[in-house]
Amino acid sequence: MTTSSASPKKTARKTAPRKRSASAKRTAAKKSPAVKPVSVLIVGAGFAGLGMAIRLKQAGIEDFAILERSNAVGGTWRDNQYPGAACDIPSNLYSYSFAPNPNWSRSFSGSEEILGYIHHLVAEFKLESHIRFQKNVEDLSFDEKKGVWTATTDKGEKFAGRAAVMAQGPLSNCSFPAITGIEDFKGHKIHSARWDHDYDFAGKKVAVIGTGASGIQIIPELVKQAKHLKVFQRTPGWVMPRPDFATPQWNKKLFEKLPASQQAMRNLLYWTHESMALAVIWNSPLTRVAERVARLHLRRQVKDRWLRRQLTPDFTIGCKRVLVSNDYYPALQKDNAKLITWPIARLSEKGIRTVEGIEHQVDCIVFATGFDVSHSGTPFPVKGRKGRVLGDEWQGGAQAYKSINVSGYPNLYMTFGPNSGPGHNSALVYMESQLDYAVKGVQKILQEDLKVLDVKEDVQRKHNKTMQKRLAKTNWNSGCKSWYLTEDGFNATMYPGFATQYAAQMADFEENDYETA
Amino acid sequence: MASIDLDKMLAKIKSTQWALSDIDWDAPGAELITEEQWPKLKDFMADLMWIEHVGARAFAAMAKKAPTDTLREIYTYFHAEEQRHANAEMALMKRWGMLEGDEIPEPNINLRLVIEWLDRYSDEMPVYVLGTVVPMLEIALDGALCTFLLETVKDPVCHQAFEKINDDESRHLGVGFSVMEMQGRGKTFIGATKMLAPLLDPRLMLGIASYVPLLNKMRDNIITMGLPEERLYAAMAKFEKIGGRTEDGRRNPWFQVIRQHAKFVVDRNNRAYHMPVDGMVKLTGLIPRRALPAVPSWVKELTYQPTA
Repeated sequence: MTTSSASPKKTARKTAPRKRSASAKRTAAKKSPAVKPVSVLIVGAGFAGLGMAIRLKQAGIEDFAILERSNAVGGTWRDNQYPGAACDIPSNLYSYSFAPNPNWSRSFSGSEEILGYIHHLVAEFKLESHIRFQKNVEDLSFDEKKGVWTATTDKGEKFAGRAAVMAQGPLSNCSFPAITGIEDFKGHKIHSARWDHDYDFAGKKVAVIGTGASGIQIIPELVKQAKHLKVFQRTPGWVMPRPDFATPQWNKKLFEKLPASQQAMRNLLYWTHESMALAVIWNSPLTRVAERVARLHLRRQVKDRWLRRQLTPDFTIGCKRVLVSNDYYPALQKDNAKLITWPIARLSEKGIRTVEGIEHQVDCIVFATGFDVSHSGTPFPVKGRKGRVLGDEWQGGAQAYKSINVSGYPNLYMTFGPNSGPGHNSALVYMESQLDYAVKGVQKILQEDLKVLDVKEDVQRKHNKTMQKRLAKTNWNSGCKSWYLTEDGFNATMYPGFATQYAAQMADFEENDYETA
Repeated sequence: MASIDLDKMLAKIKSTQWALSDIDWDAPGAELITEEQWPKLKDFMADLMWIEHVGARAFAAMAKKAPTDTLREIYTYFHAEEQRHANAEMALMKRWGMLEGDEIPEPNINLRLVIEWLDRYSDEMPVYVLGTVVPMLEIALDGALCTFLLETVKDPVCHQAFEKINDDESRHLGVGFSVMEMQGRGKTFIGATKMLAPLLDPRLMLGIASYVPLLNKMRDNIITMGLPEERLYAAMAKFEKIGGRTEDGRRNPWFQVIRQHAKFVVDRNNRAYHMPVDGMVKLTGLIPRRALPAVPSWVKELTYQPTA
């Protein structure tokens, strides 16, 4: 996986809320719904959920529970363990400022090391006892009279909290893409986010479908193992060089002995990435410079003109996720690798049929086709005041206030909610602002013993009007198709500005923006 | 010709895909190729295959410049479909024992020059230039050649393959003429003049210099193979008839340019045109192969094998 910013690549798909099984419903009916509420109920034990827990603890709030659907923490970094998985933001920036790690082995760490860091957070901040594993939330409902959110799991268990934090992550669900004939293929199928570590690629003919953030990391690794690798590309992305190097021992010691030096490095990385917004978010002269750098990178690594043409994007840099790799282009040019840019007609029993009429027969297909990103629904039904259902309200595209609250759904906080995605900076920088904002909201609920802390509808509407006006001027809305946008071109994903602006937006908790009861 | 709904056309294209493996290339019938036919057919098929392949590359260039996402995707499909036709025609050649090993037949020098031009400059051309030339090539060369082939060759596998190819081509032409009309819609005199501006572009001049002798060369080849040249002219007249059916189509200045050029080609008595162009054919025939750069790698994508 990767990213920065918000995430790896994805396939926009409307996620329908899952239905509870009949037995689960029966179980739920038998049990009493009277569950003692904790102060804060957190859904998800990935970076966001655990970060939330840490900030709550640091604010003196210990009464919280984390519901995790899996049996382990780590979220997207637990799931994305494919060969070559790494973050494309430097580790000193892709980590929490309140939990620095002086021992990152590389400037861009792999997923295993990042997962190790997440485990370290759990141990360091003693979070284990707060986590309820294998609690797959299937419903989240607000009781206005009591001022309590109740989460119901697929087994009918109920958990309640005075406030709730949806930290399930935008990139936690994946599925095989809807390619015609996918059920006909008799070979092995692997999704990048659900890697099959038992499958031996040696001597196998392998296809990779997808050349986004995950694909370009998997390909250089698979080409070393497979007998033959065919890479099926739909749209080439902009690929920038990756300044990746091993961290020298003295550097680790320096960061350990002098934490200020690591903070200084973080600041340097932060401002370097901030400056990239000028190239990536808006179409400016710097956009041309960034495209020039990417073109030079391509020209330096690929000598064949036709291959270069196949790999040259036809959209403005930044419109889709910017990719970072030093070994992707060389991997494509290995003797046992081939880039296929013909459209896929269908999958057949033995492989992939492309429109030029050839059936590419393979033993295994790796789908690096991204995640099921919901722009217009919720991963499970979320029911607010007066029977409102969030998924219904978001049919035309998700909207929130400052990305974190939604009017009609009091005391509910979202991490990576609508319009919080970065395209140029660390996702965790944005996340920290969200966590601190949520803590302020929770503190107000608890200190003033509020049942309802609900953002005003007109405030939310005004905020979104501004967001969409600003988004219209960004590269994301410049015409390319990406997972950032709905089918209708509505951008419910990205934040149109610098990370510094986002942090400023989240710095103040304006009480007047909220209705209380 | 009424404008077509490009979104519906794209859906139709996607739902009517076929692969080389849908055809049994070892089915009986190859023996129906006579000994007399064989050598002529070999040259004929090689030319046909290369025209398809050149058309494929032109569609790739058009996809880069397509004005809408739908048209871009359609052209991307057409690029691949033309390649499929070339692959299928190579498979027929293989079936008829016209290929030695994995050898790809050599393109004639005029095709080779067109390949070179397409490789270097086609991506820079506005979509309306290639968008008019390609339907002409498809209807005139491809259309005339395919009809002739089916009349001459009795092999059922050949008929089976060309039934599929012709279905694709009818969609290519449908889109081609529709786009020509789109480009002519509401064009003012100034707008139309602007569309002709690329004629002053030296890169396009080079393209014309490779396209014009190609037509005469192909005419000569076709006659050698026994196809009456009137057939070719009849196909070219079809271009004029369909392309000029609506006012929008006629208002497209590139339609007028290509139509006028077709008239020159058809009129054997037009010595002012044919003498220099035939001279160019002879002259280009003198270019040593060694003087040309290596073929671009997209040329090597051709294959007769249904599976890879």
